[in-house]
Amino acid sequence: MKRAALVVSSLIFLFACWQNEKVEEVSYRLKWLYNVSVVGDLYADVYGYFAKNGLKVDVKPGGPERDALKELELGHAQFGVASADQVFRAVAKGAPIVVLAQLFQVNPLQWIYRPDRTPFAGPADWKGKVIGVTFGGNDETIMRALLARYRIAENEVTLFSVRYDYTPFYEGRVDFWPLYVNAQAVIIGAKLSKAGETYAFVSPDTLGVRFVANSVVTSREMLEKHPDTVKRFLDALCRGWQDALDPQSEEKAVQVLLQMDRETPAAVVRRQLAVTRELMLPAPGAAFGKIDPDAWKQTAEIMAAQQLIPAQLDVESVLMTDLIK
Amino acid sequence: MLLRRIYQFFIIYLLGIALLFALKYTLRLSDYVIPGPAEIWRTGRDYAGPYLLAVLNTLAVAILGHLLSICLATAVAVLGRLTAWIGSFIRTAAYNIQAYPIVAVAPIIFILLGDGLASRLLIAAMICYFPLLLSFIGIFSEPVTDIEHFYDSTRRMTWRLQVKIRAFENIHKLTTVIVGSATMAMVGTIVAEFIAATAGIGYSIRIALYQSDLAKILVALFLIGIGTSLYLVSLEGLGNALQKRLKSL
Repeated sequence: MKRAALVVSSLIFLFACWQNEKVEEVSYRLKWLYNVSVVGDLYADVYGYFAKNGLKVDVKPGGPERDALKELELGHAQFGVASADQVFRAVAKGAPIVVLAQLFQVNPLQWIYRPDRTPFAGPADWKGKVIGVTFGGNDETIMRALLARYRIAENEVTLFSVRYDYTPFYEGRVDFWPLYVNAQAVIIGAKLSKAGETYAFVSPDTLGVRFVANSVVTSREMLEKHPDTVKRFLDALCRGWQDALDPQSEEKAVQVLLQMDRETPAAVVRRQLAVTRELMLPAPGAAFGKIDPDAWKQTAEIMAAQQLIPAQLDVESVLMTDLIK
Repeated sequence: MLLRRIYQFFIIYLLGIALLFALKYTLRLSDYVIPGPAEIWRTGRDYAGPYLLAVLNTLAVAILGHLLSICLATAVAVLGRLTAWIGSFIRTAAYNIQAYPIVAVAPIIFILLGDGLASRLLIAAMICYFPLLLSFIGIFSEPVTDIEHFYDSTRRMTWRLQVKIRAFENIHKLTTVIVGSATMAMVGTIVAEFIAATAGIGYSIRIALYQSDLAKILVALFLIGIGTSLYLVSLEGLGNALQKRLKSL
């Protein structure tokens, strides 16, 4: 009898230990390929932030044909990264998506130009110039919003369809070219400097157009049925990002990125990281990942004005602002 | 033939759409993942006009690219039938060029030719010429011994006559491969437009993808299917007419 009780209690003890050590597996679809814009996501994974919170996260790279929002709905991923325009398009079509955190506080999408050839003091200087946009992309939406805001008619500028090839900008056929200031701009800028050319950037944010970029999303069902998992994931992710952007752990962040992206030289990654830090860290006193409801509302207004989404979209119901204070 | 081809395409398209709807309603997916019938209908109504023009634009480039690839494949095959070093060199060059993925070669083409018609034509031709080339090389390298022997022994054989004999004797194979490669020409043109052009249905699909708008893509696919069917039927008709005429000679 005593022996049986001992066996049963041992089994209960082992089961309890197993329960404690049980790791929950989730999948996290990034918006783009491994580059500096996902350094905190990788940092949280590699340095065990997720593991400490009892999670095993499969951090999957994104890309042009990958859509985290569709994967959430199909159950292929539990968390993802998407830009605000993607979120609004999805929500407008009934996708049950919620936003947990806002990664970029300032949109990294800006326009590069050569100040010696094309001086730019304000949007009025765009008149008569050739401006690159990706038709259908969010840079088109942002540029149209800027033109509307500064009352520049579309026939006063020439919109040029851009692709991945920068030749039209290098050749001077296009005056303003859209790029991600924390990623491509460092590489393109270095090339221009090498050729003895000067360059500068136009930031839509400083011109009053705050169009929200990468944000962390999940499904409404995930938030309602597994709030603890969401909380643990978000806590680990934000701490990972915070530490990855801390100048004191720069070398660790660079190394984690170099492990995943062997194509980009370390010196370039360091410069990219410095720019990313400025775009992502919130105002002093605010926690990393803080959602900026005003910027989200402006993004929705811009999209509604261009008839990309219906005007009556309930923005606030999508934003989970109480998760990060 | 045209009607049969069109209704066969309708059946295939409707089966595809039905499968999508089955997935949508079984998995309870939102319109963002798979659009509903009302949205597809609305998109079709709003975009059928501009997309039809885009498909016609693409089709025109595809036909030109197809013609270009036929000329290119004929020239390479005629030269490639030579047993000399130059013949083998041309074949090696032709095979190697085809081995490069078009997405890697496309930026070079666009830098050299810009993002206009010339690039679209060249890429369309590059994609559809390989199946043509393989068949043409096979046909033009294979002697028609019964007939050629007579001209060889009477020393009246010229390279032009040799090409004519081999083409005439294999006219059925030639027309079959030309019709078959027409779809490749269409695909090639759409790929070119997707990568870099600023016109055509491939460009429209690219914009729709940026906007995650599957309804637009479904409308585009429908029109591409109709356009391709029309082109294939026309080519088959031409091929049959040509064969009949040659047989009557």
